[in-house]
Amino acid sequence: MVREVSESCVDSLMTEMVACYCNRFYANKPELAARRIEAIGYQVGQQLSERYTMERPRFGDHLEAIKFICKDFWSEVFKKQIDNLKTNHRGTFVLQDNKFPWLARMSVDPSADNVSSVEDYSAPTAESKAAQAMSMHLYFPCGIIRGALSNLGIPCAVSADISSLPACSFVVRIKA
Amino acid sequence: MIVCVAVVGHQNNPLYIQSFTEADDALKLHHIVHCSLDVVDERVNNPKKSGPMLNETFLGMLYPIENYKVYGYLTNTKVKFILVTTDLDVKDADVRNFFRRFHSAYVDAVSNPFHVPGKKITSRTFAERVSTIVKSFGFSSAA
Amino acid sequence: MDPAMTPLGKMLLEEITPVVMVISTPAVEETCLKNGLSFLQMLTPFCSFNNIDVPVRTASDQPYRIHKFKLRLFYGSDVKKPNLKVAEQQLKQVITDSGEKVFSELCLDVPGFNHEVASSEDRDTPSWFQFFNKELVRVASFSDHEAFDHPVACLLAVSSKDEHPISRFVDLFNTNKLPSLLKDGSMDPKILKHYLLVHDNQDGPADRASKILTEMRNTFGTSDSLLLSVNSSPDVPIKHQDNPWASQIYNVPPNQDLGCFLNIDDINEIKDLMQDLSSKHIIPNMEQKIRLLNQQVSATRKGFKNQIKNLWWRKGKEDGVDSLNGPTYNFNSIESQIRVLGDYAFMLRDYELALSNYRLISTDYKIDKAWKRYAGVQEMMGLTYFMLDQSKKEAEYCMENAFNTYLKLGLLGQQNATRCGLWWIEMLKARDLYKEAATVYFRICGEDILHSAVMLEQASYCYLLSKPSMSRKYGFHLVLSGEQYKKCDQIKHAIRTYRSALSVFRGTTWSYINDHVHFHIGQWYAALDMYDVAVKHMMEILACSHQSKTTQELFLSDFLQVVEKTGRTFEVTKLQLPVINISSLKVIFEDHRTFGSSSVATNTKEALWRSLEEDMIPSFTAAKTNWLELQSKLISKKHTLSNVCVAGEAVKVNIEFINPLQITIPVSGVTLICEYSTSTDELTSDEKELSVKTNNEVDHFRDMSSYNSSFLVSEVDFSLGGGETTMVQLSVTPKEVGTLEILGVRWKLSGTIVGFHNFELSHPKKNIVNGRRKAKRPPNEKFKFMVIKSIPKIQGSVHSLPGKAYAGDLRKLMLELKNPSEFPVKNLKMKINHPRFLIIGNQENVKLEFPGCLTKTIGSVQTGANANPNLMSETIFSFPVDTSIQGETPLSWPLWFRAAVPGDISLYMSIYYEIEDISSVIRYRTLRLHYNVQVLPSLDVSFQISPSRLRIQDFLVQLDVVNKTSSESFQVYQLSSIGQHWEISLLQPPDTIFPSQTLMAGQAISCFFTLKNSRRLSTLENNISTMPVGSDVLLVPQCSQDLVYNSNNVPLVNFHHYERLQQKALHEDLGDLNTVDFVLISRPLNNSINPGLSDPPHVMSHHACHLSTASTGPISWLVDGPQTLHHDFSASFCEINLKMHLYNSSETTAFVHIDTIDLDSSGGHINSVNALPSATPDNQVGWHDVTPVNELKVSSNAIETQPGKALLLESVSPYIWSATSSTNIHLEPMSPAEVPLQICVFSPGTYDLSNYFLNWKLPSKGLGDSDETRQHSGKCQGYKYYLTVLQSP
Repeated sequence: MVREVSESCVDSLMTEMVACYCNRFYANKPELAARRIEAIGYQVGQQLSERYTMERPRFGDHLEAIKFICKDFWSEVFKKQIDNLKTNHRGTFVLQDNKFPWLARMSVDPSADNVSSVEDYSAPTAESKAAQAMSMHLYFPCGIIRGALSNLGIPCAVSADISSLPACSFVVRIKA
Repeated sequence: MIVCVAVVGHQNNPLYIQSFTEADDALKLHHIVHCSLDVVDERVNNPKKSGPMLNETFLGMLYPIENYKVYGYLTNTKVKFILVTTDLDVKDADVRNFFRRFHSAYVDAVSNPFHVPGKKITSRTFAERVSTIVKSFGFSSAA
Repeated sequence: MDPAMTPLGKMLLEEITPVVMVISTPAVEETCLKNGLSFLQMLTPFCSFNNIDVPVRTASDQPYRIHKFKLRLFYGSDVKKPNLKVAEQQLKQVITDSGEKVFSELCLDVPGFNHEVASSEDRDTPSWFQFFNKELVRVASFSDHEAFDHPVACLLAVSSKDEHPISRFVDLFNTNKLPSLLKDGSMDPKILKHYLLVHDNQDGPADRASKILTEMRNTFGTSDSLLLSVNSSPDVPIKHQDNPWASQIYNVPPNQDLGCFLNIDDINEIKDLMQDLSSKHIIPNMEQKIRLLNQQVSATRKGFKNQIKNLWWRKGKEDGVDSLNGPTYNFNSIESQIRVLGDYAFMLRDYELALSNYRLISTDYKIDKAWKRYAGVQEMMGLTYFMLDQSKKEAEYCMENAFNTYLKLGLLGQQNATRCGLWWIEMLKARDLYKEAATVYFRICGEDILHSAVMLEQASYCYLLSKPSMSRKYGFHLVLSGEQYKKCDQIKHAIRTYRSALSVFRGTTWSYINDHVHFHIGQWYAALDMYDVAVKHMMEILACSHQSKTTQELFLSDFLQVVEKTGRTFEVTKLQLPVINISSLKVIFEDHRTFGSSSVATNTKEALWRSLEEDMIPSFTAAKTNWLELQSKLISKKHTLSNVCVAGEAVKVNIEFINPLQITIPVSGVTLICEYSTSTDELTSDEKELSVKTNNEVDHFRDMSSYNSSFLVSEVDFSLGGGETTMVQLSVTPKEVGTLEILGVRWKLSGTIVGFHNFELSHPKKNIVNGRRKAKRPPNEKFKFMVIKSIPKIQGSVHSLPGKAYAGDLRKLMLELKNPSEFPVKNLKMKINHPRFLIIGNQENVKLEFPGCLTKTIGSVQTGANANPNLMSETIFSFPVDTSIQGETPLSWPLWFRAAVPGDISLYMSIYYEIEDISSVIRYRTLRLHYNVQVLPSLDVSFQISPSRLRIQDFLVQLDVVNKTSSESFQVYQLSSIGQHWEISLLQPPDTIFPSQTLMAGQAISCFFTLKNSRRLSTLENNISTMPVGSDVLLVPQCSQDLVYNSNNVPLVNFHHYERLQQKALHEDLGDLNTVDFVLISRPLNNSINPGLSDPPHVMSHHACHLSTASTGPISWLVDGPQTLHHDFSASFCEINLKMHLYNSSETTAFVHIDTIDLDSSGGHINSVNALPSATPDNQVGWHDVTPVNELKVSSNAIETQPGKALLLESVSPYIWSATSSTNIHLEPMSPAEVPLQICVFSPGTYDLSNYFLNWKLPSKGLGDSDETRQHSGKCQGYKYYLTVLQSP
């Protein structure tokens, strides 16, 4: 039996969670909040991967696993596939989603269209703040990807880039 | 009949071992399951032996020991399911079917937020489900 | 690689070599025995030749050379199938010996058994396996179905001492002494013979020998007769370094050194003898025989014709086949000749020839169903293939085939099967097929348990060596073989195997297996009386919570048995039973803070105490010039290093013991391990600390646990049920000044085994109760105490403090302080965290009985005593200076308790006192008492105050009382109003309120009072809080013995004070002049079910404070006039005069402005003006300075006029306000005024005269004012006032 959840439910739950961690629990230390959110994502990813890899042969190599993430896993979670997968063949993959559902309903004031990476906590100018606030919402999916992959035996580090909304790309660096 | 089923984590740590015999042979079964891991490793590490069913989760019969037959199943997440049975002629279909149901049960068990990944599975519902699956083993396709 | 170099190859070159049968006379033997050797043994070392060079030709004349060769010598008597029984014994012996040997060296590293890992030292298989296997192979030798054990030559030895040596030679080799092989015709008795004459040089010169030799030469032919002279060394024995015999002879008597009389010449002589025996005679002889046989064979069997013939012939003698052993072939049968040919060829390394013959013969045997022979040939084929190093598959196939065939033969083929299996295994090993080898081992082990044990062990090693190595199977098979060993009580082997297995399972979570292994190792060690090791292993599995109950019991009982067997009480550091929850560890000690009870110390927060005491105890930093200077120095110096405790006062440690098992375990003699050193200097004790760490802590603990005079440790016994957890409090009491350190805890498990737990070794996060220096100190310091000489310690308790009380309950308690020591203490202070609940009384209060002291009669006395309550508001109560406690006489001090509000209340009181003598480090101490009181809801009292319509400055008070209790019933006794200017009086007599004078559980009543404001301007000056007069009303029928409680008495007044403070927070009070406080005093009736509350007589007081009377702002007014009157409207309209009484209850002058509104349409313009008066500033005089604030207020009030307007519409028949339509007056503070009003009525009817508005305004004190909340102005609609006018007749 496949159970389904209302998308909007998940969306609002998601935003609410991020809000909780960023503004309530760890209001003044975003790194910690980020880590917590990522950890939640990690566990979710592990469980999802456990479920979605049922009934399918084991992956021969990393690329297969990544492809699985891009295709089946993504469409299970977001009802769409990753739009573009790039890799330097040295263990780094870039998964690009041109319309990432969880960013679809977000917007930053137009001044903040510069690319803001998830890791950087640069000078808190207005737009970079806004970008950071938005990037907070990307730790969860990052965690999901990392959890799924590491559960598939691929330890890795995942980070996300917001290019122009609502496109965003996840960078997977596989730990050798 | 199925003598024993086991779930072994990706670090080869037993997550769940359940024997379905009255006899007090827990130790022996543990040994059997434990040894079967060797065979699993072998199967996985040099696939030329496992041949056609390359990378299939179902590993087929791992090895016979005494009057048991040991079947194996390796998930994508490197979790092993081991099935020890005394039946002489076991239909592969049955075993596959068994493992499929067992796997789904397992997935539900680990999706339980209170389950600590890598720790023993203590969920009672899981145990019940497993026992029902075990009971129905063989009849599914025989019927 | 060269197959000959492989282990198997070597083995074959050893085992499958020509046999020489030796037959000697006793004289020869005794000659050799001088050297401690038999004749055979003497020759043996010189039978293997590594560097000879013998040219040989194959049957097909291919020349090749043999460089290595070996002869096997056997006595004629031994040339037969070995006796199985004997062989068994032999093998068993081998195993046992090797067991001893290996085990002994194993025992050396026993202590470190948990360090070893499955590393190289495990990987090299024990050397005794090869030897054992060799023995095993030997069992199958001299079978008649194969030829390579058949002697190729016979060596006849006769001593020169024998008389008639020639004849001796002859009858040495006569048939009846010959071995059965030769007799029963399974082999050719005509074999090459050699005649050796042995001469002992010690018997004299060799001339006789040489004479005999010549004689021999004549009889037997020169080439076959030899002379060997030995023992030519002088009588002095010589020692050979690298003794050639030592290697082959095992049980050598120590004093005997082998070959002591054989000097180097003898040895060389022997060498040469054997060498040319082999190279000059045996090899050529074999070669020649090979040719011969080959010709015969090819004659009879080669070529198509022969094949057919042979086939047909075999078919012919089909029927003659008898047992499964097939027909018996004697030596001259073609079959055995082919076999012999094959074997000879094999032994001369002519493998092609051998192979071809084996092929040839195997088919024949197969057809003949001569299975054993068939198997033998197959075996040889396999080996030959191997030696040829071609077609591995063929080789293995042959071996397997042979093996299976042997097995089919059952008992007959048993040994051969084993041998074949071993060879096969070697073959597989040579090709790195270890896994397969292991399986073959598995198949070898037959029903003989001991053999199977060895085989299983070898199999396990194969698994380990296989690529990838299968460590788990290795472990499993080790365990299996261990069990087998155990079955045939080879315990040492069993232990060895299990311990190797341990390396596989250790550290994994496969606890079942792990436990099983540990447990059995333990048992077996115990069986070997090596109890210490046994205990070590058994301890591993004690805390096996995952095991079944029965298993746990088994483990525990066995463990205890073992421990008992050790005889002494065993002492171990890491005893897992019971488990110690180190995080639960709490150390409780009293330096300058002392506790009423240990529970206080554990369950209360240090921070809370500190905050309570902060202004009571002199702080170190703040201490400038007083005596504290000294103390602060002293303490700060020592304290930073360690805690301070006082000699004679116990240091307590709370620690949790957990029983992981399902069975109860008795634990006894739980004590702290402490170390005491007289020096208070830290450095030295630190050094001691280090030394402690270094030396073995068990010993350390042992002497620690020995009795020490300078401190006293408590001992606790308890027994833990299955899965139980108990918190144990241990204490150590230092007796002398010095340094005390708590090192750990020791306990005794079921009286036999003593466990230790060192607090230091495991670095737990300890929560020391006094959190002062928690962060700063390294963990080991937390257990180090500086013991100072004993100082007084006050014990204190509060008597008759109820655990439960109903809200409002009022009691007198006694605080009792004792000081057991002889030193007096002084300067006592005390502080309580909840003055609302607990008030410190006075010395005088001790005498007075309660609640009598509350009554009015003696009331006047105390009024002075309670001085002003806010003295003791938040500050410290300090006892009178002269109070000093000492000796037995306790100091008891009264406390007043009142259960203010329902809930669980915890009362903290801290008592501070100073110690007289200056010398001690600690100069003051505090006693901390903590009590919990549960306050149950009792009466729910609420008041409602509304101004009375009848008289100005009168108020109607509604009192609602609900009994919230479940069982209690109360007597609502008296209501007192507090506040200087209020008088309260009953509206109706009490008995009408309470017909039965009780208020039952859950019952609610409400009664009414009138409250009169009796204040005069005169009372204005004096402060409210100073002398609150009040008025009391008894709510019970007046009778003599009922006393009126004086709400001004101690402690009521104090409690009331705190209630006021408390409730001030709730009500923001406007115009506090108009607020009133009530105290309701009630008494529980003594029919109570709750015994805790039944002791009579109780008084309960409920305080309601700051009840505001001024519902309408500061201005109260009343319209006064006739209610009904008669008038003759026919005559004229009726004018009616009314009076409005105004009263200004504020302390400032108020402007009041009354607007009257006419109801008829004609009065509309006035309405419009007055609806929003502030909208038209030019309207009236009094409305110039309208601050924005007011404007807002007014306009908001204007909304209130809606009802007024509504009222216009449905108004009764109109009347008009005659006289002035609006009036302004200045009302002096606290003063009444009168305003005349007049209306005109035009027709009879009932009129509502509420159509006027009363604007009042107090002079605003500007915006930034403190009481901004307070109303500055208002606009009120008039009260309803009905006037009925009747047409007068």
